Amino acid sequence: MDPMTRTLSPVRKPAWSLSRSAIWLWITQGIIGSLVVGLAVVAFSLLVPGDEGPLPLLRWAAPVLAVLYVVVAVGVRPFVRYRVHRWEITGDSVYTLTGWLTRTWTLVPVARIQTVDVTRGVLQQLFGLASIAVLTASSQGTVRVPHLEVDVAERVAEDLARRAEQVRDEAT
Amino acid sequence: MIEAPPVQGRRTSPLIVLVHTVTFRQARSFVPAAIGLAAAVGFNGGTPAVVALAVGATLVSLATAVLSWWRFSYADGPTAVVVTRGVLARSVRTVPNDRIRGVEVEAPVLHQIFGLVRVRIDAAAGAVPGKEEELVVDGVPRAEGDRLRAGLLTRRPVTVPDAAAPPVEQDDVEEEFARFDNRWLLYAPLVGSYLVLPLAAVGALFRLADELPRSLTPQLPGPDAFNLKGLAIFLGVTALVLAVGAVVGAAVVNWGFRLVRRRGSLVAVRGLITRRQTELEIDRIRGVTLAEGLGMRLVQAARVSALVTGLGDAARRGQLLPLGPREEALTLAHRLVEEPGPLLRHPVAARRRRLMRAVGSGVLVTVAGGIATATLGWWWLLAVGVVLTLLAVPLGLGRYASLGHAVGRTSFSVRSGWLAREQAVLQRRAVVGWTVRQSFLQRRAGLATVVACVGAGSGGYAALDMAADEVAGFAVAASGTWAATLTTR
Repeated sequence: MDPMTRTLSPVRKPAWSLSRSAIWLWITQGIIGSLVVGLAVVAFSLLVPGDEGPLPLLRWAAPVLAVLYVVVAVGVRPFVRYRVHRWEITGDSVYTLTGWLTRTWTLVPVARIQTVDVTRGVLQQLFGLASIAVLTASSQGTVRVPHLEVDVAERVAEDLARRAEQVRDEAT
Repeated sequence: MIEAPPVQGRRTSPLIVLVHTVTFRQARSFVPAAIGLAAAVGFNGGTPAVVALAVGATLVSLATAVLSWWRFSYADGPTAVVVTRGVLARSVRTVPNDRIRGVEVEAPVLHQIFGLVRVRIDAAAGAVPGKEEELVVDGVPRAEGDRLRAGLLTRRPVTVPDAAAPPVEQDDVEEEFARFDNRWLLYAPLVGSYLVLPLAAVGALFRLADELPRSLTPQLPGPDAFNLKGLAIFLGVTALVLAVGAVVGAAVVNWGFRLVRRRGSLVAVRGLITRRQTELEIDRIRGVTLAEGLGMRLVQAARVSALVTGLGDAARRGQLLPLGPREEALTLAHRLVEEPGPLLRHPVAARRRRLMRAVGSGVLVTVAGGIATATLGWWWLLAVGVVLTLLAVPLGLGRYASLGHAVGRTSFSVRSGWLAREQAVLQRRAVVGWTVRQSFLQRRAGLATVVACVGAGSGGYAALDMAADEVAGFAVAASGTWAATLTTR
């Protein structure tokens, strides 16, 4: 790690990346979002008659912004997200890094885990992915690891729940 | 897992039926329907109709009160409390004793007449917040209320005694932690939450005045009769009414406040009309917050609340000192949680960031005002923008001055907020996780926000805009070796 990034990042990166399928899932989400935006723009240019005021400008700006959105949502965001998102399970804690522009690192010790949930959304099922949510007594202290392979997620959840049972002190 | 307790269900006192009849406790829900009915039938029968309506309403209220008394029972078994209720749909709620976090005994005025009390049993909320986390047993004799409270709180499995904790085993020895001095009521006009009380009353009065028939409203002079002197008098009277109202409101809520330690619990008693007794388990206290609003800081006043794991409605129930001098508040706070030492300032970049965020909206308005002045000649928007920007400067500086954090041997502290400044002092063991957040701009400025996740109070306490390279050290020092994961593999 070069000294430049050391000063910028407050804490270290967790070690592991998500499943590569997550990129495809995010691209799919981006495409769905783009379709919605596209429909809105088409509806706007068909339904809003405008030859006066700021409307002609908007008629030009809306498609340009929409194209920009599509490029970012499909071509940029999934890859940036994949590079940013990381997770790790160490001997005594669960550690994640999530976010896109604002980064959030979350660390929870295994001894304070209350419940571990595994969820599979509709899109996730298409790509064989699952998310883990690790809950603690604090409403703000929830760790979420999105988009892992199903078998990995299930194994990790099982392992965490078992270890939490063993080492739990006062879980609050 | 929990065997059905063989204990016979107990009933509340039949006298509670009278209280509920008078207060329309159960019949309240019928009021909108009754009004609708009256409106539909037409209401022009004169005095006999009014009397009939009043008698009818009282009878309905009596009937519902009897029904719900008859269908209500509670049982405090050796392992759990079971409350059975519901007139049509029966509901049985079982709360294991080890999930009970606190028991509150309160005596509203009408209850006092009949020698009754209301017992609220607080169950652990866990990770899922909800209003339904409490059992209410309304209307038992005072002795039964005390028996319930003592019984429920002692029957819980005893947690492993903490070696560092002070010896708390001497039975029934009361130690006074705080006592309200009535002179402190004079702080009330400077506290936002107490100022709201008279405002609400005035609002209700105006609504009532609106409802009055024309002939009854006093003939006030029209607006043209007001001059500067009249306005000054009006403002003076308003300020006086607000101040007096705040003091009276604070007195009603806090009269005779007293906080004592009784065995392993802190017991707070307060209230002029409704006497309220709240019991908090010392072992479940994870920290305290010290709240000092802008007005309170002017007179060096503060409020102290306890952060208790699994306590619902913590803002009201966790209060340890509702209002008092700062010195008193600090002493009390540090009696429960060790003082972590003086607060450290945040880096200069944090001041720049607070200033930028504060002036941001003002600058936007100024720019818009500049454009408006140039194109439309609206100079006033520019003036508003400039004033907003100038006012935001002390706001930003004040917000920066509030920021601070400190780490001690067994505790740590974070502080933020300007209008409502809050300092949280937390025990090391309170931390159930850390969240570090860094926005794009924070990354450029070398700052980060650290949130200590806590299973009590608001769930998380943040150190805003800490220097990015101090984050990991702070987390490790404030919680435990497990936080070293933030820096090393």
